[in-house]
Amino acid sequence: MRKTRIENRIRRLRFDRNEMTQQELAEKVGVTRQTINAIELGKYSPSLEVAFLIARALGVELEEVFSYPKDAAEEAEAERGTKRG
Amino acid sequence: MSFREKSAWVTLITLIVLSIAFALHVPQPWTLRPASSPFMFHVLLLAIVAFVVIEVVAHVVIAIFSPRDARAPKDERERLIELKSIAAAAYVYAFLSLSSVFTIHFGANQIGVGYLILLSFIVAEIVNYALRIYYYRRGF
Repeated sequence: MRKTRIENRIRRLRFDRNEMTQQELAEKVGVTRQTINAIELGKYSPSLEVAFLIARALGVELEEVFSYPKDAAEEAEAERGTKRG
Repeated sequence: MSFREKSAWVTLITLIVLSIAFALHVPQPWTLRPASSPFMFHVLLLAIVAFVVIEVVAHVVIAIFSPRDARAPKDERERLIELKSIAAAAYVYAFLSLSSVFTIHFGANQIGVGYLILLSFIVAEIVNYALRIYYYRRGF
């Protein structure tokens, strides 16, 4: 399965917050532990709302949790161009 | 394993086991012979009742072992997994049920077509729940 292009630092941020577990974060956000795990491993891109809730639960801004690298954006653009062409 | 995944396993296994049991007890519905009888009606009724009872009992049992998980509403990933699986199963159902109708032109009677449409529904549901399990296992 192809990973999502969005990168995240959830694991690091959880670790920094007294080793918060995935279950604890999931309960704060209102999703299942499996969903937090899928997001953390880059298998699932959350909705904007859940992304904000994760950032809030970790006490940081959204950009500190999620990032969209420039090369990922270029890759996505190239892919769109290939499909059009 | 989450409650939803366990639930999908329960439904998938129940569907497969009951479908096989039903197929073994019904006198060759796929041969499309005129075979309507009270016996077939009772077997069909029994299969439906057994499905409902097994589903309820099994879900109560898995909910007892993970009560918090069972009470929690579906989150966005689970809803998307459900939608993706249903969409794929809908194509399977459309294709198979339309194919079933075509069997009229190859000598099938109404009862035969009816059973083929039922089979289409069962196969589509098996695809639906198998896909859910696949997506849950994969993450999304």
